[in-house]
Amino acid sequence: MGSFWKQGEPQVWGTAAALSVTLLMVLVLVGVVMVNGLGFFWPSDTALVALTDGSKLLGQVSATEKATHAHGKRLQFKVGNRDLYGQDFRWVEERDIRTISWPHDSVVLERKENGNFHGFLKSVSLEGLAAPAAASPWETLRGALKEVSGLRNTLAETGQVMADMSSETEQLRLKILKLSHSGATANRGEISRLTSRREKLLAQFDVLLERFNESSEALEKPAAVFTDAAGEEKDIPLNAIVRAYRPNTMGVFAKASFYAGKVRELLLDEPRESNTEGGLFPAIFGTVMMVLLMSVFSLPFGVVAAVYLREYAREGLIVRIVRIAVNNLAGVPSIVYGVFGLGFFVYGIGGGIDRLFYPERLPTPTFGTGGILWASLTLAILTVPVVIVSTEEGLASVPKGLREGSLSLGATKFQTLKNVVLPMATPGIMTGLILAMARAAGEVAPLMLVGVVKLAPTLPLDGTFPFFHVDRKFMHLGFHIYDVGFQSPNVEAAKPMVFVTTLLLLAIVIAASSLAIHMRNKMKKRYATKAF
Amino acid sequence: MRKEGVKQTSSMNDRIFSRAKRNDRLAAWLINIGGLLVIFAVIWILVLIMKVALPLFLEPKAGVVASFTLTGVAPAAEIVGIGTDDNLQTGFVLDDSGTFSVFDNRSGKVMETLPVAPPGGGRQSVASVAEAPGRRYDILWKDGSFTALKVDFPGAEDRDGGDANTLLITTLLEEVRTASHPLPLRSLARIPEGKNPLRVNLLEGNRFSLAKKTVSEDLAGNETSRTVRSEFGGDLPGTVSSVALDGKGEFLYAGTDTGHLLRWDLTDPESPQLTDTVKVSEEGHPVTALNLVLGDVSVAVGDRAGSFSTWFPASETGLGSGKTLTRIHPLAKHGSAVEAVLPSQRSKTLFSLDKSGSINVDHMTSERRLLTFSTGKPLTHHGVSGRENGVIAVDRDKRVTLWSIDNPHPEISLKTLFGAVWYEGYDKPAFVWQSSSASDDFEPKLSLTPLIFGTLKGTLYAMIFAVPLALLGAIYTSQFMRPRLKNYVKPAIEIMAAVPSVVIGFLAGLWLAPLVDKAIVPFFVAVAVIPLVVVMAIFLWQKFGSTRLFKRMAKGYEFLFLIPALLLGVYVSHALGVMLESVLFAGDFKLWLFDVLGTRFDQRNSIIIAFALGLAVIPLIFTMAEDALSNVPKNLSAASLAIGASRWQTAWRVVLPSALPGIFSAVMIGFGRAIGETMIVLMATGNTPIMDWSIFNGFRTLSANIAVEIPEAPVFGTLYRVLFLSAVLLFIFTFIINTVAEVLRQKFRKKYGRF
Repeated sequence: MGSFWKQGEPQVWGTAAALSVTLLMVLVLVGVVMVNGLGFFWPSDTALVALTDGSKLLGQVSATEKATHAHGKRLQFKVGNRDLYGQDFRWVEERDIRTISWPHDSVVLERKENGNFHGFLKSVSLEGLAAPAAASPWETLRGALKEVSGLRNTLAETGQVMADMSSETEQLRLKILKLSHSGATANRGEISRLTSRREKLLAQFDVLLERFNESSEALEKPAAVFTDAAGEEKDIPLNAIVRAYRPNTMGVFAKASFYAGKVRELLLDEPRESNTEGGLFPAIFGTVMMVLLMSVFSLPFGVVAAVYLREYAREGLIVRIVRIAVNNLAGVPSIVYGVFGLGFFVYGIGGGIDRLFYPERLPTPTFGTGGILWASLTLAILTVPVVIVSTEEGLASVPKGLREGSLSLGATKFQTLKNVVLPMATPGIMTGLILAMARAAGEVAPLMLVGVVKLAPTLPLDGTFPFFHVDRKFMHLGFHIYDVGFQSPNVEAAKPMVFVTTLLLLAIVIAASSLAIHMRNKMKKRYATKAF
Repeated sequence: MRKEGVKQTSSMNDRIFSRAKRNDRLAAWLINIGGLLVIFAVIWILVLIMKVALPLFLEPKAGVVASFTLTGVAPAAEIVGIGTDDNLQTGFVLDDSGTFSVFDNRSGKVMETLPVAPPGGGRQSVASVAEAPGRRYDILWKDGSFTALKVDFPGAEDRDGGDANTLLITTLLEEVRTASHPLPLRSLARIPEGKNPLRVNLLEGNRFSLAKKTVSEDLAGNETSRTVRSEFGGDLPGTVSSVALDGKGEFLYAGTDTGHLLRWDLTDPESPQLTDTVKVSEEGHPVTALNLVLGDVSVAVGDRAGSFSTWFPASETGLGSGKTLTRIHPLAKHGSAVEAVLPSQRSKTLFSLDKSGSINVDHMTSERRLLTFSTGKPLTHHGVSGRENGVIAVDRDKRVTLWSIDNPHPEISLKTLFGAVWYEGYDKPAFVWQSSSASDDFEPKLSLTPLIFGTLKGTLYAMIFAVPLALLGAIYTSQFMRPRLKNYVKPAIEIMAAVPSVVIGFLAGLWLAPLVDKAIVPFFVAVAVIPLVVVMAIFLWQKFGSTRLFKRMAKGYEFLFLIPALLLGVYVSHALGVMLESVLFAGDFKLWLFDVLGTRFDQRNSIIIAFALGLAVIPLIFTMAEDALSNVPKNLSAASLAIGASRWQTAWRVVLPSALPGIFSAVMIGFGRAIGETMIVLMATGNTPIMDWSIFNGFRTLSANIAVEIPEAPVFGTLYRVLFLSAVLLFIFTFIINTVAEVLRQKFRKKYGRF
């Protein structure tokens, strides 16, 4: 026993315990995100619960916990129908439940507004639709919904045409503004020409708008009558229904394909209901755009700095200072970069560009406000040290013999660098780049100051000249988490969506950094054997 | 032919060589610049954010705009008031015949004279004038009649149109003295918009009379108005030498020639109450100037010896009751008697004129003497523009001088940023951050101390949690773990370093915080039980599992065997905790905490932050510490093991001391990261800037404060610059920490010659 203590075995076990705790926490973190994020889209069965006080509710069991007083359980049901009940969730004591049944005809509707509806279908009114009434109301509803969604798409196309038109008129307005700013009398002819073109466009737009309004009004007419668990009727326009399904009749395969459809919606569609429902496409797109733009700035600068440190600089005071500077760049809090970006890029350079090139639009800022360009530049400075450190590692792992071989054949230092050293250090550079991208994808604090928004009306990349609008604000997955999870009015209802976003962001970041770390470890091994 | 060919190639070679050499030189040049650019970038960032923050500490600037002698005013008339518009274009004086003379501020040419008709009729001269905020003048005529009026520059409001040089006089109240009332010495009125006017007169013999119109509505909706009158005062210490009334007409202040300050509560006009009598001058110097500071909470008092201070009611005991007027901010002393005090209508700045004729500009909260103005001749009256951008003054010879002031950040001094400041409405000096409020006359409280405190509190708690776990885990991973396993565990924790802080913050705020909130007692039980369970598991292992086979099997895998023990610990502490809570705290620990210890329990508290921030820095510290431990040359540990030391003895006595600089640097880097972390603290604390070490409270850090406030801060305003200043502080904090860490690491690398 004494020797056991003296030899320090318990202490070894103590250190092991520390590691276990750490690993356990990591597992819990990943596990919580996975469980909550993956389960959200699975259409669970809806239970019709009859309570002892005679009332009924229809909902999906979303949580259970120990009852506070009795020995039984408490069940949380997602009952939906926010417009009827005011709340999406309801807690029920198990002892208050008389019966639970799983009716086949219970319907769950995903709606454009007010969250899900749980209830039963009563009848469908096909006003203005071509679809025939089928044998059962449910079949009729399905047919009608298909037609409505087709009509909706046509309407959306018209909407797109109108949006293009209005952006063109806006361009014209700005052009006219610019011309009149630089001299209203000198450019009179041009201005009147542009004005008449703009007016023509506006007239066309008005005609379209009227047609658009008519069709969208017509689209509101077909509706269906539903009843909730208590039998109360609710008239819902078909256009307000995004998806209708009967979870209790769905088999595993039907549920899986439903799940796949939801994932597709998540990745490719626009958000609904102030970001708490629908897709994440603009946020994913914005994140990717911003990260790519950032790489364009941070990669060359980082590689050049690393080459300087490894290949050109002589060891000495300056190199030590540069290394300290690099480490400080890596260690300065990200919010400080945000503050710098705001002061230097947005108000400094952006404000300067506005005064020089867009004086006619002031005080409405063009570049003098947050945008994807400024966000990318800010994050580029933030991630440069990552590229530097990793590239340096890559350069260090290139054996000396190869360099000397190249130099002895008469190549200059630059030729050696370009043709021998850099190609061999590519894995290191790539590692750095991927790590930098992972870091940038997850960083939120500086972005909040330099251009991220909760809902961007347009993507930074589109079909109108100059196609890539670097002055536009953008959406970002990380900010989406913060915004929906902490700024939305109904946090409880928004939580599942935040878990899904978190899962997505976590998956992207972990996949990217695993790849980078894997590449780095491989690189270390490759040259470790060659060097000796 | 052949020779020529050779020559050609060699000349071509020369060209290639020279081009290659040129490229080489160019590349070397570019790359060197690129390297130096990194240093430049760091310095540039610091310089730039400092440049924005620096104007906070610059002295205010002022300059004479114009100086001229007024010739358009009757030579016999004595000037009793002066003012200027907000654009410093047009000025006016009021003389003792009750005439406003409007003049151009550049040339001094009088453009208009506007006599005010005394309500009593005929020609009257002015007995006394009191200036009230918003360019309002209360004129008491010699015959005892009274006019309250307001002066506006309607043209100055819109910049493009309108004649900026017109003066609009609006009469607000006119009263003729009836013979039954005594002749007042001084008269003040308050006429709230849409409400009932109130007038206070100072009479002979220290008496005051009060008249307030009240409108009452009966059930049928008929309005009847009547005037409530009362008289008060009389037996007071000394003779009243100055009076002031607050904006709503609720409090009357009077100073006496024995150095006393008195305050009456006028909320009940029928019986005003004398609430305070305090001695403001220990030596008994008469109070010569009295006025309220913007916001009507503080009153500025100047005496004949030149002492100048502000006072407001505060309770000595700190209990909120029994408030008495207290000297809050002693301001810089004047050389002679303070004659008049004018408050700014924008900030808590005070413009005071003394007998020697110089004007001092002080800020109340920061107690800074901002500026001093004087001319060769003593000035007799002064006026302040509404935007606080100019001061106009006149001397006995009717020489008018106009100064422009550039004073953007008067409320900032090192003391207001870092020290305890006695803010209005507080009972003692305090460290407070409260940047904005709904009302304009709000006193901004921009103390960075609670934020620095919050930053340190969060960092400290996180480090207490993270450092032991990370370092012990690193020791285990580098020294005792099977190498094959290490190849999986280490990358796994490295990947954790890449987990975005917004993810950790979200989980901490919306998942962990409610969980801990529900299970706070089990949590505390776990802190005690889990180590106990681990120790027991080790003992059990020693007792029953120490056969050779088991021992060999477990070597390097100990941490896997401990995971079930930990899970058991979690389960036991949960069960035990629920039981304890119902037995010891009657089923509600939070209620007990509040009732018995008086501590508030926030759902998002420091425990959550310790976990979340700890989890964010553990991978960082772990990875770097593990690297440092692994880089200690193997021959050292091999030698130690060879002479018979156990694996723990080797790790503890040989490897750890050698790797100490590297480990220290790892902890420093983790510390730096925790200080600047934004999203986690933003999401997982309540962001309340309080100074309290309690683990059940939240806090607000410098970084989260920037994220919360900067979107709302007007560009280049005081708040904006203060936020930049806090960014500078963060930068400097982390700069020092990172530099120390890097220097240590470079030393460590040199010692063992590894990359």
